[in-house]
Amino acid sequence: MNRKILYQLIVLIVLVILVFMPNLISEYKLNLIIRMAIYALFAVSYNILFGQAGLLSFGHAAYFGMGAYTTLFLFKHVKMPLILGILSGGILGGLLGLVFGIFVVRLGGVSFGLLTLAFNQFIYAIAEKWRPVTGGEDGLTASRPDMYIPGIGEVEMFSTVHWYYFVLITVLISIFGCWYFTKTPLGRLNLCMRENEERTRFIGYNTYLSRLIIYVLSTFFAGIAGALASSFQEFVSTSFINLDKSAEVLMMTFIGGGGTFVGPILGACFLIYINDLLSTLTERWAVIQGAIFILLVLYAPRGLSGLAEPLTKILDKTGEVQRA
Amino acid sequence: MEILSALPVQLLHGLVYGMLLFLVASGLTLIFGMMGVLNFAHGTLYMLGAYFSFTLLQVTENFWLSLLLAPILVGGIGILIERFLLRKIHTYGHAHQLLLTFGVAFIIEEMVKWIWGNEPLFVKIPAVLSGSVHFFGISYPTYRLFILATSLVVFAILFTILFKTRAGIIVLAAVSNRDMVNALGINVPLVFTALFGVGAALAGLAGVIGGPYLITNPGMAATIIVDLFVVIVAGGLGSIQGALLASFLVGELQSLGVLFIPELAIVFEFLLMAVILIIKPEGLLGEKG
Repeated sequence: MNRKILYQLIVLIVLVILVFMPNLISEYKLNLIIRMAIYALFAVSYNILFGQAGLLSFGHAAYFGMGAYTTLFLFKHVKMPLILGILSGGILGGLLGLVFGIFVVRLGGVSFGLLTLAFNQFIYAIAEKWRPVTGGEDGLTASRPDMYIPGIGEVEMFSTVHWYYFVLITVLISIFGCWYFTKTPLGRLNLCMRENEERTRFIGYNTYLSRLIIYVLSTFFAGIAGALASSFQEFVSTSFINLDKSAEVLMMTFIGGGGTFVGPILGACFLIYINDLLSTLTERWAVIQGAIFILLVLYAPRGLSGLAEPLTKILDKTGEVQRA
Repeated sequence: MEILSALPVQLLHGLVYGMLLFLVASGLTLIFGMMGVLNFAHGTLYMLGAYFSFTLLQVTENFWLSLLLAPILVGGIGILIERFLLRKIHTYGHAHQLLLTFGVAFIIEEMVKWIWGNEPLFVKIPAVLSGSVHFFGISYPTYRLFILATSLVVFAILFTILFKTRAGIIVLAAVSNRDMVNALGINVPLVFTALFGVGAALAGLAGVIGGPYLITNPGMAATIIVDLFVVIVAGGLGSIQGALLASFLVGELQSLGVLFIPELAIVFEFLLMAVILIIKPEGLLGEKG
């Protein structure tokens, strides 16, 4: 079978399952799926830097948190409509990415990582200390507004099923945007700069500006993910912005495999599922989680999606035989 | 002015914390700065030092013996981690090392909570060190001055070994060109394992000394790990003098920040790191390249 057709078939099957998901599982599980979808988008946005640009960031939670706070603040104080609120979260995330990106994209390697970490801590400190706006350690609470669709009217968003479809559509559009980006000239340039930035510069590309645009794009989608996450929990606190959150998205992306586009999605689903499962099974789940990390690094260094590689090779070979 | 009269003592507090930070960071300078291993578990090794010393004190009731034994035990654990885990992935990048050591840190931290419980433990310090010293009209706890002295002695020893002895030259050479030194007949993997062991033992030593000062508790790894990376990167990767300078700055910034602008005290060290990285990406005393 041709590899491309197989992939399209898999995507189609997954989409069909996702559409009928609310009929198939309990509300508790549906909430878990919503979480997976939101974090899948967060991880995909992170992988634009991690896998595609080869930049190890320790501060992606800053943009996730920026989106999360912005959206909830707007819902609470301005009574902003749903879609506009989520979009504002993404835009503010991207703007913050622009401001920080001016400094960080000049650097590579460990310096890049540590400067992103420093900026993450700034944002964290602001979220903790700017009480009138952020609520300090108590955080912000606001319920998500209903959505107005022209021709249909108000759709209430309190119900988990309605909210599930809203998140699903938003995440799918965003992930499609990220996927489409990898096919654009700039997306290709991103890979090119990862392989050899010096040569890319010599060919005549402005690598600084290109990296900056890519950074803003990645932080925009991180902001959207954050906006969805705070609207989902109807609550935002400093835990959305701390270093644990930055580490979490790194783990998700790495575990799934940064070398492929679907890797981070798999990683996000896997980590959320495992955490949910282990925390119900045993109190000492951190030991098992640690052991899983070690085993994955040792035996699946390219992530879960790397494990599937031998399979795709077989597929390619049979494809060749058919063509011959 | 009340604030100004508190200044000398506060400066001293900053110095003591800074030097303890250096003691932990000195090991990470060897492991991360020189070998390039992004070891997230370094803070956890430091915590292990504190807990080992707590138990050794219960058994032997001798602080000086625990000061000797706990670092050796932690160094041994470090050697096991390097030999059986990190060595297998040394051809991969930083992300692999980070995730692997995340895993190690998770396991050790959970084990610590399991064995010693979640409550903070109080470690008795020997009678010789428990009093106060009076000088320039200030009365200051002897134990904190002991921390200061130990860190400076460790700096002097490390500096001498690295730059004045044959062993130090081999380490520096192996770090700068692994393959060449290997080809010259030196067992480089062994050198790296030993270096990791020494780095871990230094973390353990810092734990023994820091435990009674910062209180032995399961969160002590998490509180110090970010400061550690700030120190290593701001000081310049692999520069032991840079780590000393950056530790001093971070200690004083935190201490003075608490005195003058308590609301923003937690931001100062990151401001310092950001400014250094923007102006001089290779760090204060780091070499270009």
